[in-house]
Amino acid sequence: MRSAPRFPSSLALVVTLFAAGSAVAAGQPVSFSRDVQPLLAENCYHCHGPDAETRKGGLRLDVRDAAFAAGKSGLVAIVPGKPDESELVARLFSHDPEEVMPSPKSNRTLTAAQKDLLKRWVAEGAPWAEHWAFTPPQRPAVPKIENPKPEIQNPVDAFVRARLAAEKIFPSPAASPRELIRRVSLDLNGVPPTTAEVAAFERASLENPSSAYENLVDRLLASPRYGERWAWDWLDLARYADTNGFQGDPERTMWPWRDWVVNALNANMPFDQFTIEQLAGDLLYPESKSKTLDPARRNALIASGFHRNNMFNGEGGRIAEETRVENVFDRVETTATVWLGATFTCARCHDHKFDPFRQTDYYALFDIFNQLSETGSGGGGGKVAPILDLTSDAEREAVKQTQAAIDSFAKEVETFELKKFPRPEGKPVIDSPDALKLPGNLPATHAKVAPARRGIDGLLEALPHFRDTDPDPAYVALLQRHIDLVRARDAARSLITNVMIMDQLPKPRDTFVLNKGNYESKTDTQVFGHLPAVFATSAAASTRQPTAAPARLNRLDLARWLVSPANPLGARVTVNRAWQAFFGIGLVKTSEDFGVQGERPSHPELLDWLATEFVARGWDMKALHRLIVTSATYRQSSRTTAALHERDPENRLLARGPRYRLPSWMIRDQALTAAGLLTEQRGGPSVKPYQPPGIWEEATFGKKTYQQDHGDALYRRSLYVFWRRIVGPTTFFDAGARQVCTVKVARTNTPLHALVTLNDAAYVEAARVLAQRVLAASPQDSARLDQAFRLVTTRSPSAAETKILLARLATLRKQFAADVPAARDLASIGEYARPAGLDLVDHAAWTSLCLLVLNLDETLSKE
Amino acid sequence: MTPMDPLRHASALYTRRQFFGRSAFGLGTAALASLLGCKNTTTNRDALTATVRRAVPGLPDLPHFAPKAKRVIYLFQNGAPSHVDLFDYKPKLREWHGRQIPDEIAGGKRFSTMTGNQTARPVLGEITKFAQHGNSGAWVSDFLPNIASIADELCFVKSMHTEAVNHAPAITFFLTGSEMAGRPSMGAWLSYGLGNETEDLPAFVVMTSRDKEASCGQIFYDFYWGSGFLPTKYQGVAFRGAGDPVLYLSNPAGMSRTVRRGLLDDLAHLNAIKSEEFGDPEIATRIAQYEMAYKMQASVPELTDFSQESPATLAMYGPEVRRQGSYAYNCLMARRLAERGTRFIQVMHAGWDQHRNLNTQLKIQCDDVDAPSAALIKDLKQRGLLEDTLVIWGGEFGRTPFLQGKIEEVKGWGRDHHPYAFTLFMAGGGVKKGFSYGATDEFGFNAVEKKVHVHDFQATVLHQLGLNHEKLTYKFQGRQFRLTDVHGHVVKDLLT
Repeated sequence: MRSAPRFPSSLALVVTLFAAGSAVAAGQPVSFSRDVQPLLAENCYHCHGPDAETRKGGLRLDVRDAAFAAGKSGLVAIVPGKPDESELVARLFSHDPEEVMPSPKSNRTLTAAQKDLLKRWVAEGAPWAEHWAFTPPQRPAVPKIENPKPEIQNPVDAFVRARLAAEKIFPSPAASPRELIRRVSLDLNGVPPTTAEVAAFERASLENPSSAYENLVDRLLASPRYGERWAWDWLDLARYADTNGFQGDPERTMWPWRDWVVNALNANMPFDQFTIEQLAGDLLYPESKSKTLDPARRNALIASGFHRNNMFNGEGGRIAEETRVENVFDRVETTATVWLGATFTCARCHDHKFDPFRQTDYYALFDIFNQLSETGSGGGGGKVAPILDLTSDAEREAVKQTQAAIDSFAKEVETFELKKFPRPEGKPVIDSPDALKLPGNLPATHAKVAPARRGIDGLLEALPHFRDTDPDPAYVALLQRHIDLVRARDAARSLITNVMIMDQLPKPRDTFVLNKGNYESKTDTQVFGHLPAVFATSAAASTRQPTAAPARLNRLDLARWLVSPANPLGARVTVNRAWQAFFGIGLVKTSEDFGVQGERPSHPELLDWLATEFVARGWDMKALHRLIVTSATYRQSSRTTAALHERDPENRLLARGPRYRLPSWMIRDQALTAAGLLTEQRGGPSVKPYQPPGIWEEATFGKKTYQQDHGDALYRRSLYVFWRRIVGPTTFFDAGARQVCTVKVARTNTPLHALVTLNDAAYVEAARVLAQRVLAASPQDSARLDQAFRLVTTRSPSAAETKILLARLATLRKQFAADVPAARDLASIGEYARPAGLDLVDHAAWTSLCLLVLNLDETLSKE
Repeated sequence: MTPMDPLRHASALYTRRQFFGRSAFGLGTAALASLLGCKNTTTNRDALTATVRRAVPGLPDLPHFAPKAKRVIYLFQNGAPSHVDLFDYKPKLREWHGRQIPDEIAGGKRFSTMTGNQTARPVLGEITKFAQHGNSGAWVSDFLPNIASIADELCFVKSMHTEAVNHAPAITFFLTGSEMAGRPSMGAWLSYGLGNETEDLPAFVVMTSRDKEASCGQIFYDFYWGSGFLPTKYQGVAFRGAGDPVLYLSNPAGMSRTVRRGLLDDLAHLNAIKSEEFGDPEIATRIAQYEMAYKMQASVPELTDFSQESPATLAMYGPEVRRQGSYAYNCLMARRLAERGTRFIQVMHAGWDQHRNLNTQLKIQCDDVDAPSAALIKDLKQRGLLEDTLVIWGGEFGRTPFLQGKIEEVKGWGRDHHPYAFTLFMAGGGVKKGFSYGATDEFGFNAVEKKVHVHDFQATVLHQLGLNHEKLTYKFQGRQFRLTDVHGHVVKDLLT
């Protein structure tokens, strides 16, 4: 929770920097896009905007010609230069509740200042402009900064400094080498530097700070950890998970797609290619007749799994077409969010209220994604066709063997059941009079099904019945063995690796606008794949050669256009997300919405410069990241003063470096690294580290058991942690839910988060092993403390901190000496080996102290 | 003065003692002064107290008007109880038993795939006996004797209707206003708008239970209590049915509360030093949140300690009350949370989905929830809490008045999902007592009189909390969102 600035006057100052419609300084002309359009959008477009269905009085204020033309009544809303003749102005200032706008019924009101501003704008001739984000970025000139201090590193700084100079704010000095190496290591690799790396960098910085830093950045960009760190953000927006979601929540095996992302990022695949392969990899390479798959095609097919990462509802009673249509909705909306920064959901049911997206535009994109062979049924297994089978022979063999074990065991069950449920031989259990007593679903799942074919759900329902309600211990023992065998078979089956991919129906489905987005109510309006009309002019410059009209675009056409210069948004939204990852907030704060209702960029020229630079450099992600982290802006100290904080609480002006709590997954990886526990094995099936017992069981009514892994799997990077969609890993907080596309995760500060980092076995074990590490390194407490501090925060503790902590250590030793069993408990948390000879009291005391260090605000924060 | 005031007063004192008593907290004046980066210690203390005490603050201009209810207990019956077997008595069903339901009633309607393709739709008479109860003469089935016994406290809405025909979308619709996952749920909206009355416990708590035989496969999805686009601090805290009710609540094995206290004192001290150096107010918030975590470690076990409950109270909730994770246990917990100031308590019980086992399972479900539901309402009333607590009881839709399955297979009788009409009831919180509102047709098939849509129900709940449902909005992706989307009318006739 952020505390509100305490001085209203300074708050107002900051607000004018970003918010629309606030007082514009006298003498400065009113800007349509900065001041006027947001006011019109917020207060008028709801009834006088792009949506023709709900437009009132035939008046439209989102299009210049319509707003300046005479309406039905003959009155003209806006007469440039003549506020007294403009009906808009008259209505704004009317005191008649029937006349005044916005209408009282709309729950929208304008302040006196806002009304005056609109009037002034009309008086100034009502200059009009298209919404900034829908026009292609123009490369702005880099501002010249006279005598910059501290030194400017690249054009990013020039834009930031120009703004700061206008605000009369000084930038901060550079962060110390130590602070910098921690910040940039976490940002680029997701793990903190080792103590040796810190020392080496500090030494190199003494000689030549500039080349030392650039070498460091190059090393980090070349590290394979880079792809692992940046994959996380992409997985959040791709709604990647290891299960379908919804009832049953069956497992899927999309991890080869996840590994593809990591590899592509590490190989620095240009973002345009990265996009095209994921949206349309299946259409890139021709299918060959040969039995072995061409590696390029194979990889592109895996990449196309991007749009199979959505949830899939296989709930019983579910209408397949409803599921299929919802999946297409999800693909349309995810695409719009990721590559257009557009919120398309509204246009499912009607023309967008604020942005120039028509309902037909929505269904035109729907048509493009409507050509997948997926039917909406068959979600129960989690791996829904079309798929790419990547299973090895050994894995297939394991399924055969575990099934064979069930088959032979089933004979034993049959013999037993022939006595338990007397009936003519060869008949199913249901034909026995004794089967009539079975409750719930058991007649269907148990009595009607031959033992060899019974599934885990039915068996788990049978077990409590025959244990508690109608006890039969011998039968229960059989059921228990049966459950174990079925679980083993299901586990083997789960290793069958089928990546869900995209394909294209040979004969396209027809697409109609759906009334209110209801899959059952097709309207008569048929649409074919095309770009949203607002982009159609720029589409003329698209890379695609026009074919027979009407040109029906497919996924490949769309993908190519999204990353072509003709798309005004593709590069902008991408560089903005990168900025958000480094500074905590994007240049456009609403990174999910670049539309009229989104926030305007804090530094519009910088955004456009970065976007054009990104494209000019061939959509080179690593070059973009390098550009940002080598800027003086990024390298500033994040210390702030009360005055500066009040002036700019969110650091939008960038007069200081970023400081905010790290993502929870990174906090975990950092703790594992500090303890020396992190296992750097890359890729492969997801792993199941510590989790409190019963989480899956409770969420799935006992149908899914969390089988924790052991050994190295406990210490893999968070990226590889198994993500059950209906109940995500509990060790993470403020993480994307991986249910729908998330481009911006929340950053909150709650007691529940404190409980995780204080009590989760992952953190307590990390503290315990960190304690072992420092105990082994030195016999001296002050040296041990120094090392623990440096491993976690990269710095040594101050004298004051040392004093506090060594005093605490003394107390802890006394406390644990008085309770050795407690010391033993604490010193043996987690499965990692503990040296036999280690003194329990000492170990427990140091474990406690290390846990404290792992919970420092500084540890939890990037600073 | 409400009865829980002394309790809260005590905890407020505790807060300040913990924070500012040097002996307990060990945080010196100098460190305190640095917490908010300025010199005046008194101001710092006030500001810090404010941060701690309003850990989940509401919006400054809310409520919009004087509320009738301060909190909500929503007893959500997951899976959809059969309205025509429990509350909506229709003699016509018995009369038509086994005959095809008339087309003018059921024709052209959408059903789930389980009966969507079934052409025979014989009417199924109610499977148990109904009687009228109390002065109000409410019809309640004999499967629910305890609820029947408090009929004069209840406000039945018999003309509910919804849009979704499957569980997850329908529940999501009820709780978030949208069938698709991802919008804030009712409890999140309320804690966002109104904040919390206690700093020791979460504002929005969820507790789930299921039928004993786990006959139904319904899952409690976390988006039933999600915060959607609201900050995650407003999402419901799901108390667990086993072990620590709050995840990671317990200290690690071997770490006593005394040891933890000492560590947290030093942690606060070191963070305070940091705050002085960096000037980031987020650090002061972090100190406060760690302190709250420590307090929750005491307040949650106190909350779950039933040792001070009288035998009579415990007996009223039934034999399952001591089993953590049971519906009865959760109902008693709901009362204890309400007493301590939690804003929204969502108790969910799964197992109402009787497609093929109405004759066996419906009674079992009713036995699970009947006594505890009634006990909760009586208990709240006894303690003077019912007045300002709105209790809601109901599922996500109703069940078909016609049969799913074959009429000759009595054992396999069931009813399918039915969005066109169903019943829910409320109590306390400024709704009428002994009152019944709206009606269905003579088959209980369509709501026909004074229909109440889910959005109307939501608007009404917000109204009782002093909120105008059209004004409690949050801007996301360029649009002002609200719980009721762009619909909903407060059903004033239900209110006192």
